[in-house]
Amino acid sequence: MRWLCAGLLFALAVALAIGTVAIRAGNAALRHQVELTYADIQDRIVELRRLSVEGAEAAKPERLARSLWTHWHAEARRRQESLQ
Amino acid sequence: MRLGERLRLRLAFGVLGLVPLFLTGWLGYLQVAQAGELPRDGRAPLRLEPATADRQAWRREVVPAPRGTIVDRNGSVLAIDCETYDVRALVAVPAKVGRTCESMRQWLDELAADFARAMVADPELADRGASLRGHLEQFRARLGAAFRIDELPQAGPVPDGHPRRADLRLCGDVDVLPVVEALREIGERRGSVTMHFLRTFRRSHPDRDATFGIVGHVATEWVEDPAGRQLRTHGVCGLESWAVLDGGQALARPFLRDGAGRPYFVGPLQAQPVPNVLHSTLDLDLQRAAVRELAQQAEAGAREGNVTIPKWGALVLVEIATGDVLAAASWHRGVARQEAAAFTPYQSLYEPGSIVKPLVFAYALEAGRLDWAHRFDCSPGGGDYRERIGGVGSRVVRDDHPCGVLTPHGILVNSSNIGAAYVGLQLDRDQWRDYMRFYGFGDSLGLQLPHERRGGTDARSFDASIPLRSFRRNSAISFSFGYEMQVTALHVARAYLRLFRGGDADLRVCRGVEIGGEWHPAPAASGQDRRLRPDVIERVHAAMVDVVSAEPGATGSHLHGRMLRESGIDLHGLVAGKTGTAASRIGIPGRGKVDVRNASFVGVLPAASPRWLAVCVLQKDDNARFYGGSYAAPPAVRLLLQCQNLEQRRQRHEEPRRVANGQVRDARGSPGDSGWGR
Repeated sequence: MRWLCAGLLFALAVALAIGTVAIRAGNAALRHQVELTYADIQDRIVELRRLSVEGAEAAKPERLARSLWTHWHAEARRRQESLQ
Repeated sequence: MRLGERLRLRLAFGVLGLVPLFLTGWLGYLQVAQAGELPRDGRAPLRLEPATADRQAWRREVVPAPRGTIVDRNGSVLAIDCETYDVRALVAVPAKVGRTCESMRQWLDELAADFARAMVADPELADRGASLRGHLEQFRARLGAAFRIDELPQAGPVPDGHPRRADLRLCGDVDVLPVVEALREIGERRGSVTMHFLRTFRRSHPDRDATFGIVGHVATEWVEDPAGRQLRTHGVCGLESWAVLDGGQALARPFLRDGAGRPYFVGPLQAQPVPNVLHSTLDLDLQRAAVRELAQQAEAGAREGNVTIPKWGALVLVEIATGDVLAAASWHRGVARQEAAAFTPYQSLYEPGSIVKPLVFAYALEAGRLDWAHRFDCSPGGGDYRERIGGVGSRVVRDDHPCGVLTPHGILVNSSNIGAAYVGLQLDRDQWRDYMRFYGFGDSLGLQLPHERRGGTDARSFDASIPLRSFRRNSAISFSFGYEMQVTALHVARAYLRLFRGGDADLRVCRGVEIGGEWHPAPAASGQDRRLRPDVIERVHAAMVDVVSAEPGATGSHLHGRMLRESGIDLHGLVAGKTGTAASRIGIPGRGKVDVRNASFVGVLPAASPRWLAVCVLQKDDNARFYGGSYAAPPAVRLLLQCQNLEQRRQRHEEPRRVANGQVRDARGSPGDSGWGR
């Protein structure tokens, strides 16, 4: 019986060792995933700031007026062509 | 259990028990008994111990602190730090590839093509083909230089000692998501290439064309400090030069990296303080209008083809109650990059001419040296002329048009130099010195903007060795109609501010700063506590109202008629002002002494109760006809009218939203709040 207990304890120790290693490996893999997700979020922060500055630039009165004029000219040309 | 079986079992378990003992002993032998050192060039030997292994896995990502943000009085961003990446790649040629020169060349060529394709991954890129070719050429050259491709034989094995690893900077200011993702994908796909994305900032000025002068710009330079040699961004001129905008200490983030270069998360970036926000007094809408009006006026001559265009121009708009500079525009002829030239509102000096006459008259009236009801004979060679001007020596003073007998009110409306000289001769030398001090001519504007020009009088004007008679003949008469002194457009604006509000009135370009999210209003000006009497201001102001009228001889009659014709607006009683035209001789690098004419105008609106003040000056370097009333006045008046219209429009739309202390709050939080701090 004593030997059976000793054997079981040894098997438990081995299982614990394997389990610990597996958890640590899983932890490392997860840390890598978190790092990639973190980098992904940072990339989107960069993109967000770029788009917000570009958006503000695009909404400048001068630029809106220019695009409106361009649109009107194009529309006028289209109507003129359709009349001919 | 039999004895033999028991022995075998004991032996088996004994052997199993010895395994951990052996491993422990082996570990101790390697880490303690065999622990040694690796010699390194120029550095302390590397201790081979567990802490070294840990240290080698730990990495530290350093992120510079962002510079502060500059916003206008309504919260619109004028300058902000935008997050970007500086991308580097650690390239190691795989052992298999690095055996022959042909395979190494081909591998590097493919890598250059990968990098180039990643750089053009932006779907909004206009000319992808040309851009791809450019990047490909660039990356081939960089990899070629890093791996010394030119030194490789045409074929055969790669010589021993030839570089097989290189760390190179691929690109900076990368902020387009598809490009970032494409570059990251290269690192994931190619095990021999480790990509490093260094977080940094790029200064962005959303309305650069309108605000380059007053907002200024930044420069990034290498600096030596106790922490070592590092790149630092600092403001060079304009509001950018203010210390409150400087970024604080760089922040760090720990992470782990394994032997294959794979990163592992440990923790986020340290809590980053919210960048400071400088609330300027500028109004972006009015600033755009000022830039547009000034450029249109300056270039009008070139379009019409019958008038030469000015050398430079300046247009400023000030709120009288607060001294806030709402707009400041600069224009130069023939300068491809306006931002590289002097910012005329506070860096270009000129002789102001008649624009100072209301200031002189107000001072003389306050000092009790002028009777407002007195009638002066302003005809050249008349009795007053012979007695007052002829009495101080041989000085000739002329008017542009015959003026006859005028009261001080009439002298201002007609802008008579002779009449102004009579008034100026009433003041003594000390009073003239006090006049300069009261209005701030020759003093700093106090705006804390670098490279400011102060101007002022000639160094010998107030020299005690100059006889009084000579001072009166030359300086006193010249000062009376704005000669023998140099000013900038903002000096004139401040002088008029003091005329209306007193000697403690000063201009300001900053309303306050947010430091760590806490609002600190700009300190109030602490100048001389002297005010002109209300009746003095009223009389001078009444004359300025009549300058912009259809009255015969009024110097603003041209402006009045033009606005009535073009816009149907009767300016009389709406805008008050004073014109100025001065002919000077100045030195221009490469051209020697040149005759120039300065046309200027100062206007206030509404005339009944002035709220805004505009000063415009244009300088020409030829002999063309060029007057303040016809050239400098229109853009200033149009800007004043736009200012009034804008305010009415904003009142209708209830914008902007301000809290009780006057600070503008953006609903989305502080405009300078960097996303990387979270």
